[in-house]
Amino acid sequence: MDPRPASAGAIVTRDLVKTYNGTVRAVRGVSFEVPPGEVYGFLGPNGAGKTTTVSMLTAGLEATSGTAVVDGIDVRKNPATVKRRIGVVFQESTADGDLTGRENLELAAALYGVPRSEVRGRVDGLLERMQIGDAADRLAKTYSGGMRRRLELAAGIVHAPRTLFLDEPTLGLDPQGRAGFWKYVLELRHEHQMTVFVTTHYLEEADGMCDQIAIIDHGAIVASGRPSELKDRLGGDIVTVRPVASSPALREVLAKIPGVVSVGEQDGSLRLKCSNGEALIPAIVSAAVGAGVGLQGVSLKRPSLDEVFLEFTGREFREDEGFSATDRAVMVGRVRERFGGRR
Amino acid sequence: MIRETLALTKRELLRLGRNPQAIVTSLLLPILYLVLFGQAFNFGNLFGGDSAAFVPFVRGAPTYFSYFSAGMAGFVAVTATLFIGANVIFDKLFGILKRIASTPASAASIFGSRLIAGSIQPIGLAFLVLGLAYALGHLGLSGLQVTAAIGPVAAVQIVLAVVILSVMFAALFLAIGFSIEQPQTYFAVVNAINLPVLLTSAALYPWGILPGWFKTLASYNPITLAVEVIRLDLFAGAPQYYPESAWVYLLGLLGWAAAMILIATLLARRALAPRQ
Ligand SMILES: Nc1ncnc2c1ncn2[C@@H]1O[C@H](COP(=O)(O)OP(=O)(O)O)[C@@H](O)[C@H]1O
Ligand SMILES: [Mg+2]
Repeated sequence: MDPRPASAGAIVTRDLVKTYNGTVRAVRGVSFEVPPGEVYGFLGPNGAGKTTTVSMLTAGLEATSGTAVVDGIDVRKNPATVKRRIGVVFQESTADGDLTGRENLELAAALYGVPRSEVRGRVDGLLERMQIGDAADRLAKTYSGGMRRRLELAAGIVHAPRTLFLDEPTLGLDPQGRAGFWKYVLELRHEHQMTVFVTTHYLEEADGMCDQIAIIDHGAIVASGRPSELKDRLGGDIVTVRPVASSPALREVLAKIPGVVSVGEQDGSLRLKCSNGEALIPAIVSAAVGAGVGLQGVSLKRPSLDEVFLEFTGREFREDEGFSATDRAVMVGRVRERFGGRR
Repeated sequence: MIRETLALTKRELLRLGRNPQAIVTSLLLPILYLVLFGQAFNFGNLFGGDSAAFVPFVRGAPTYFSYFSAGMAGFVAVTATLFIGANVIFDKLFGILKRIASTPASAASIFGSRLIAGSIQPIGLAFLVLGLAYALGHLGLSGLQVTAAIGPVAAVQIVLAVVILSVMFAALFLAIGFSIEQPQTYFAVVNAINLPVLLTSAALYPWGILPGWFKTLASYNPITLAVEVIRLDLFAGAPQYYPESAWVYLLGLLGWAAAMILIATLLARRALAPRQ
């Protein structure tokens, strides 16, 4: 059998399943395709099966059934080849605390077979780039959470992989740290045309940073596509019109504007669901003027991923839901901070 | 493969060097044995201070302490290799092993680097213990007396005995480290192994007073095999008390080491393979 699939996706899975111990159905048949060079986000609450999926794609965990192909290589058949071509940043912190930042990167470079003559330049370049140059010769156990994360990212890309897997890479970072981390990832993506597979349970991260996302819940993909497409599927934007005084005539006039799908009323305001709210605002305003109704204000709201999640799962998305591997990682992080010196 | 192994060995050595308390801990027990236990068992006194009369009981060693010092050099191989297995467990807990396993580095180089790094320190410590035992004799205490002239062959045999014994125990503790997840469990298992291994060896007991069945048991013990090589080579009177030459003991020891490396490699490979 030809391991290369017909499609040219950088990551392609078909009916990928993981059942732990024959009972825990962590991933229940996911199929998706990531085009080369895209940032693909796996968005889901804790316990959804994100880490399990990443582990199967990076040859750390055996799939129960299904196929996973990364960069044209079947992960289940050639795990060693896949490992050579990818970079991985795990959910939990895995920087080597007893080594300095520089030693961490040099070790990664040696293990990934970076040509000896290039090691020094790449390591120096990455240390500089990730803003850990000043701390390069300090033991990694003295690093802050953000520095550690940047060091782990650097270790994951020291061999310039074609595909990078990031499992909740910004977990536990403050918003500034998260923004900084993403800046590096996106820069690297542009420079190396790297494909990035990232899991997250931060909605705004999935929305703002990813070209495409898949929403995963209870081990299955419930929706996928570009963030804007997913939001469009909800039926479009919400335009809220606030008249000076309640007016049934206005409601009728607005409902007749082409492009307006429905008109609802809430607390004296009219909520218009429409496909392209921005373009309709002038028509809405002139219709109101034509009907002789004064307006206090008009506002446009594009639906957010919260609503997408709600629509497809019937539940609210809660970023701090449950207790799972995520919490464990945070705790391990704390333990390391306290006991980092004793190993 | 070679580059990976070297890089990983360097990492293990850096880390052992940065945590010197392991060296101190592994030396503590053998030193206590040397300055207390070995000093107390002054068997020469049984014969009215005539230690020569005790020579046949300690297979030709000039004194019990000399006999016993060689035993301690073997025992330190156990106390000092224990850490390399514990480090595997800590590396699992802190995700470091997972990250190393996610790189293209082969299981053989991950295991091999730890075996190399884990053996170097015990080898050094074994010679340190011998040196210390020798020095004690010059401090007014019982000390190691070397009565044979040590030629190149004897030197090679002693070094081989120490090296193979250290490698064997490093492999044993790595095997345990790769197959256990929790530090408590590891230390429980290790404690359950250490003392029985020491107490079934001829490291401590005068050979001549052992019952026959115990001699049989002890003669297969890897610590015995290494320690007897050292005794054969250090004491001029020794060879006549040994049925076999030092090479035979070394061969037996090599067998133990090979078996242990094989088992440990299989367990490490299993631990590093994609999880089920
Ligand atoms: N080793 C394991 N054994 C049994 N169940 C597991 C194991 N790892 C994860 N799970 C379970 O599988 C589900 C998915 O976990 P995970 O992939 O870690 O989710 P996420 O990364 O999205 O938070 C959870 O219900 C979790 O409890
Ligand atoms: Mg996870």
